[in-house]
Amino acid sequence: MLSRSPSPSWTRLRRAVAARGFTPASWIPAASEGRAEEATIQPASRVEDGPLSGWAVGQAEAWPGPVAFLDGTQRYEVMAYSGASPLVVAEVAAAVMERRDRQLHVARVARRRLIIARPAVLAELGDAVESHIAVPLPEDVPVHPVHDFQMARREVDRARGRLELEVGLAYRTVSSDWLIVDGSLTESPQWAADPRMIGVSKSHATLPFADQELELYLRLPSGHRSPVFAPAGREVAPVYSWALRLWPWEGKDLLHGLIRVEAAPAPETLDQADRLSRWLLAERAPVSTPDPRWDRLLYGIRAVEQYLRASSTN
Amino acid sequence: MLSPTPVGRVVATELKPSTPHQFHFWTARESAVGIGAIVRVDAPGRTVLGIVTDGFAYSDLMTPMHDVIGADGDPALAGQAPTERAEIRLYLAAVLRQIPEEPLQPVPLGEVRLAGDADVVAALRMDAFTTGATPTGVPLGVYATAGLEAPIYLDADFLLGPEAAHLNITGVSGLATKTSAVEFLLSTIFQKFPRHKGSVAAVCFNVKGPDLCYLDQPAELGEEDLRLYDRLGLKPEPFQDVHYYAPYKPDGVNLNTLRTHEALAANTVPLVWGLREVLDYAEVLLNKDDVDAKADAFIGFLAERVVGRTYSDPTLERPTEVRSFADLEQFFRQIFNFMESRASGSEIWKNHHLATIRKVRNRLGNISVRAKGLVTDDGQASDLPWGKFADRSLHVVDVAALDPTAQDLVFARLVSKLREHLERRDLGVDHVVVFVDELNKYAPTDGPDTYVRRMLLDLSERGRYLGLVLFSAQQFRSQVLRRVVGNAGTALFGRMDMDELATPGYGILSPATKAKLAALPKGELMVRHPHFTQPLFVRFPRPPVLSGRLGVERFPPAPDLPFAPAVARQLRALDPSITTARVENLIEGRREDDVRRAIHTTRRTRPDHVLAFFTAQLGTRVEREVAPTRGVPALKRMDDPYEGR
Repeated sequence: MLSRSPSPSWTRLRRAVAARGFTPASWIPAASEGRAEEATIQPASRVEDGPLSGWAVGQAEAWPGPVAFLDGTQRYEVMAYSGASPLVVAEVAAAVMERRDRQLHVARVARRRLIIARPAVLAELGDAVESHIAVPLPEDVPVHPVHDFQMARREVDRARGRLELEVGLAYRTVSSDWLIVDGSLTESPQWAADPRMIGVSKSHATLPFADQELELYLRLPSGHRSPVFAPAGREVAPVYSWALRLWPWEGKDLLHGLIRVEAAPAPETLDQADRLSRWLLAERAPVSTPDPRWDRLLYGIRAVEQYLRASSTN
Repeated sequence: MLSPTPVGRVVATELKPSTPHQFHFWTARESAVGIGAIVRVDAPGRTVLGIVTDGFAYSDLMTPMHDVIGADGDPALAGQAPTERAEIRLYLAAVLRQIPEEPLQPVPLGEVRLAGDADVVAALRMDAFTTGATPTGVPLGVYATAGLEAPIYLDADFLLGPEAAHLNITGVSGLATKTSAVEFLLSTIFQKFPRHKGSVAAVCFNVKGPDLCYLDQPAELGEEDLRLYDRLGLKPEPFQDVHYYAPYKPDGVNLNTLRTHEALAANTVPLVWGLREVLDYAEVLLNKDDVDAKADAFIGFLAERVVGRTYSDPTLERPTEVRSFADLEQFFRQIFNFMESRASGSEIWKNHHLATIRKVRNRLGNISVRAKGLVTDDGQASDLPWGKFADRSLHVVDVAALDPTAQDLVFARLVSKLREHLERRDLGVDHVVVFVDELNKYAPTDGPDTYVRRMLLDLSERGRYLGLVLFSAQQFRSQVLRRVVGNAGTALFGRMDMDELATPGYGILSPATKAKLAALPKGELMVRHPHFTQPLFVRFPRPPVLSGRLGVERFPPAPDLPFAPAVARQLRALDPSITTARVENLIEGRREDDVRRAIHTTRRTRPDHVLAFFTAQLGTRVEREVAPTRGVPALKRMDDPYEGR
């Protein structure tokens, strides 16, 4: 079932903003479609015994039965300035695509439009905000265009996360099939506890080991997985996690083909980590080219991204 | 009525924009849309009807290498990926019609639906001639796609004139599509040609095999064919008023056709011409080197002053009446005798050079030999019923077994006669369809500029004003004189050879349309008609007449008979009670030429009392008188005067 909201493009809003005397801008920051992450090491606790250099999980196996993929997108830009204060507009979207008989179909989708600025600026806009959700920025610091923009960006990240949760939970009400989430399950305790959800992280900004252990962790051979560990700092929504190498990294990059899998922190996860890994190995095909992240990006996740971008009106 | 669900959506990009004449649309992977499908685009204030001319499919794969990587280099694994790649079905459609027609604008973005019955009528502008007080639609077949079946009509005004006329059909041999299409179309014309447009008849030349030999015999049609006839409002019946004409074999009594089974004899009559008929079209017999003013003048002299009358001249031994080739030969002989008897060396006879006279004599003499059976020596012709053509009558002239020159002669004379009568409005009908197969033989692109070729060109360019319409067929359209096929207002295309499709004449067709043409099944063809802005694929049922192959099996040709039984068979065609024994008695001892003359006259006259008339034509029997053998008297014995010397 699809849920769509009519979403006119930003052209009309841009005109309305200009008519109110704002200073037009057209700054679309680099990587405006991705979430901001800081690189850090958060030592994890080992849950499963075994060498950190990992072990082979066996031949790839096709996922039995239907499986769904959840992902979200975001896009934002500075549309105008009121004095030095930026007016940021954003669109966040999330969708679940279900795979049945090798075909992907949209099962759930939601889209939101945000307009983010200091409260005084939002007041100036009045009814020009139209179908956008107005998100006020804190006013406890003096206006600084770059700082304000960074705050707006965090708001966009949060809005996208909320929307993904909303869509994921809505899908769970109608289906108990496996659901693969792009990113971490720790966004929600419900997700983290769901025995038929897994998170697949492409980003390794947060690493679970350091020094010698990290070196072993990052040198997993192709088709191997690491022992299961419990990432640190996930007290609200604890998960089990392990690394899996989808493609050989030798001659390319340490992170090439390396994903981190998250699943519910339950004994069953330990039992089925190998099997889940084999299923994920099968997801290497079709290759998600020409996306530069193709070595870690599952085709189903990419299809959701493609769908959300193609159906965006901006 | 609009189809309930859209099957596609128009897309336009900078690289592939919509224009007033074409647009792109995508569909689901499984859809009923295919090459040749008619679709409808609805946008506020505008409806666009188009026909699919090309199709594309591609996935999100950027390079084949990525597929190789994804399958670890193993093709067997490539098909086992858990997810199938996203794939698009993109179609290119040519605009058939925009409503409103003005202002003409690019096709708008909008939902695409399969056309319904009414849409097909509008798209092909058939509403202009299938409705109103005087409709002129003639059914050709059905447009069929995705379970929809819409009848397709041709406009009689553009098929048989006067707006446009002529039809040409191209297709590879052996599939019987060309012949079947023409037979079916003639049947629809005879059934549906509007009465308010006048009367119509057809003359078909059977130039090979038994193709057109059984047009009066019913076909065994299957359920699907009968359903199509019903859908088109046609009766699946053979032609009712059919006349067959065939020359004799050289023996002068057995017909030179495959249609010699006695059950078919009633409407199969001999085609026999005399000197007059040949002389009027002598130009056909002359090759390019022969055609000069001198030969022309002498032939004119023969036609005006000699043939059909008694010619007297002091240079000739006696007055000569020239009615047959034999008489003409006598006439020439007298001229040569005179020239040889002259003391001086002059070679001119009444301003005609002896060489010219000899040339004309050779050519005319040649035809009487090469077309023996068509050309009779008795001076009497058995011909088509000039002036008495009946409405919806079909006349088939079987020239399949004739010498090519004789075929040309038959063709030239019959078409010329049709033209003359239509000009004078005394043929008996207002329109005549002439069907000629193997057009590339009669009007080739390359080759000599023959009388027949010039006549076909004239027919294609001016025939429509007279009601003389050319339906022609050939395997390779590119090998036919362009002006002849170009003048055909309606063109049909059956399965085509790829080599032929690669010729420049098919440049306007999309690769997909060409591919479809190259694999077109029997019973389907592509049609171009003045009202249709794009070619259209149409299905038609099998014709309602017996095919040549089945006809030969069901009515095997009778073997050639000896003289007397052959004469009896001919008389039985007029009166089935006549026995061979009776005829044998009648003609015993008669000269064969006399019998031939009598049988020709009888067939021509078709008297009530056949045998009595035939007997009368034979004349009084001249009993053979056997002179007593008197022997050679012996030489008188006398002494040898040299004896003892």
